[in-house]
Amino acid sequence: MFGVWIGKCTAFLLRLAGRRATSLPGRVALRFSPRLLAKLGQQLERCIVVTGTNGKTTTANLLAAILRTEGPIVHNAEGANMTQGIVTALLQHTDWLGRLRVRTALFEIDEATLPQVAPHLPVRIAVVTNVFRDQLDRYGELDGTVSKLVAGLQQTEAVLVLDADDPLAHHIGITSGRRCAYYGLARDHAGEPQRRQMRDGAFCLSCGEPLHYDGYFYGQLGLYQCQNCDFTRPLPDFLGRIQHDTIEIQQNPLPRMRFQLPTRGLYNVYNVLAAVSAARVCGFNADQIAKGLAAYQSPVGRMQVFRTSPVSVLNLVKNPAGCDSVLQAVGAEPGDKVLWIAINDQAADGRDVSWLWDTDFEQVAEDRRIQFIVTSGMRAEDMALRLKYAGVPVDRLRAVPDLEAGLEEAFTVSRQLGGLPLYCLATYTALYPTAQWLERSVSPVVPLTAHRPSVS
Amino acid sequence: MSRSLRIAHLYPELLNLYADRGNILTLRRRCEWRGIPVEVEEITAGEPLHLSRYHLVLLGGGSDREQEIVARTLVAGRTEWASAVAAGLPVLAVCGGYQLLGEYYELPGGEKVPGLAVLDLHTVAGEPRLIGNIAIESPVCGTIVGFENHGGRTRHRHEPLGRVLAGHGNNGEDGQEGVRHLNVFGTYIHGPLLPKNPRLADWILQTALDYAGIAADLAPLPDELERAAHEAFLARRITSEPARPTGLRENSAAPRPRPYTGKRR
Ligand SMILES: [Zn+2]
Repeated sequence: MFGVWIGKCTAFLLRLAGRRATSLPGRVALRFSPRLLAKLGQQLERCIVVTGTNGKTTTANLLAAILRTEGPIVHNAEGANMTQGIVTALLQHTDWLGRLRVRTALFEIDEATLPQVAPHLPVRIAVVTNVFRDQLDRYGELDGTVSKLVAGLQQTEAVLVLDADDPLAHHIGITSGRRCAYYGLARDHAGEPQRRQMRDGAFCLSCGEPLHYDGYFYGQLGLYQCQNCDFTRPLPDFLGRIQHDTIEIQQNPLPRMRFQLPTRGLYNVYNVLAAVSAARVCGFNADQIAKGLAAYQSPVGRMQVFRTSPVSVLNLVKNPAGCDSVLQAVGAEPGDKVLWIAINDQAADGRDVSWLWDTDFEQVAEDRRIQFIVTSGMRAEDMALRLKYAGVPVDRLRAVPDLEAGLEEAFTVSRQLGGLPLYCLATYTALYPTAQWLERSVSPVVPLTAHRPSVS
Repeated sequence: MSRSLRIAHLYPELLNLYADRGNILTLRRRCEWRGIPVEVEEITAGEPLHLSRYHLVLLGGGSDREQEIVARTLVAGRTEWASAVAAGLPVLAVCGGYQLLGEYYELPGGEKVPGLAVLDLHTVAGEPRLIGNIAIESPVCGTIVGFENHGGRTRHRHEPLGRVLAGHGNNGEDGQEGVRHLNVFGTYIHGPLLPKNPRLADWILQTALDYAGIAADLAPLPDELERAAHEAFLARRITSEPARPTGLRENSAAPRPRPYTGKRR
């Protein structure tokens, strides 16, 4: 039990120091008790797992809000989705004798981590949100991501909850041999392909032929079918239809359910669909789901609004499909605006920044309402260069590598342009420092002006 | 100037794992900024390919499965490729495309996937993958920087593109990176390759213009941003590895190069 003690002490000290304790306690504990995950995991009665490329954190948080209507759960809430983060979350609910006090766990798990942790957890339900191109340096290649997910899922007895509209997720459902429940959007939401689409899923993984699409939702998500074999988009068990700010979900033969959408953007509609479908498979009723969704609070970096002056909105970006969605969501916001984009290249961000060139920054160049862009982070210059080649005039562009100096610069520009809202995009390791900085900038204790040198 | 430079981008739907669109975009913009007409044609896997139409051919990298599809498609045209390359057709091949230029790619099981065989080059699958930031020195265009991520170990009998300063290169052993033979450029460097290496981009463009017989003058461009990205990469990612994250000022001790614009502090 030494690992439990050490881990809990580490978490205690971190909190005392005012730091976030999301994965370090687990890492330290595992060093002393390598089998800790299995020991704690076997005390769980049910475990629900959320994995996939995009939308893991939002889907897991939505589902957590629903599950909590029945009682407390173990949940790695802050996106610490590798083994250490999962152990840290379990430790929070473990007493000093190593006994777990909560029997239900909900884990967001990184695709590559899934095969390592799945055998140690009683996974009843696994949600695969989608598979997009992400962090090639960590996984090698896309095919590797798919096979890791399948390998991980095959080590469980889980019912899979999958996106019917994503050919890669569907392929995972078929090859895993597990029981599957599919969710998807109604046909009338499908449109023509917008600009160039990500093509990761454009080929049939069963036979290699190009997939034919009757319509697209976003990225590779759409109404696909293979012309050569029987691989085709399955009929969703949970069919979603958007109506203004509500979503209607049809699960035959039951009466239709309708919920208020707690977040903005099409990609978030998919996250709501995934969470509601998983909750239904878990046995939750419509009232519990509605109550849970109402209690949901938008997490760090998902269109998170800060009452800075001028106002700022923070978004996490990490791969082309996710970043395209964020850029579309930002573009859909009314009025002139200033952008600040922070790109780091630590392991958690992906060390290879090739993805910037697969992202549709051309839409930024074409958007006349984006008045100025400041880039920051370890790869501030790469980001600025990407924007230059996308067609952004260099006199509307400035690279300031230091995060804090870059934010100051962006706010200065925003105010000079008459108080335009600042949309901040940041990769993972830049996100929390940025959120903290923005939080401090709204604090009444520290006046806003104290952070900013005068404009020279 | 009426004739335009015609570039073929081969199989973008299959071979675009490492942002080859960035390379195409760089070539296109650097022509446009100089008033040189340029056309880029995307050739998909089923289409016929007439090499004689083009002044530059770009071959990117894909996953193993996609690369095998391409290898099968290409090998049928081996003879045409051999004569086009011998006649001086400029080719830029990155990652998987680079491997495809060789005699074969040997899979872990020993099976050999035949390549285009336009170069005396072969690749053998290896472990672990060679992944990371890379900088090489080219005798013609100075330092070239980027990212590499390949399982294959490549060896050949031609000139390398450059000598490895930091990173792995062709095989992690002989200190060589890429290949340069006739007008063929092959490399494992992506990230993508050309935006941060404008001298290399212009070298390839000049080669293509000469081959096309277009008398264009590659006037210097205002490459401040390109150079800043190149220099920042060298300073933060090559000379000072492993670097620390750029976090809040009080806990970030990483060497911080001066921003290239703005008049802060
Ligand atoms: Zn098929």
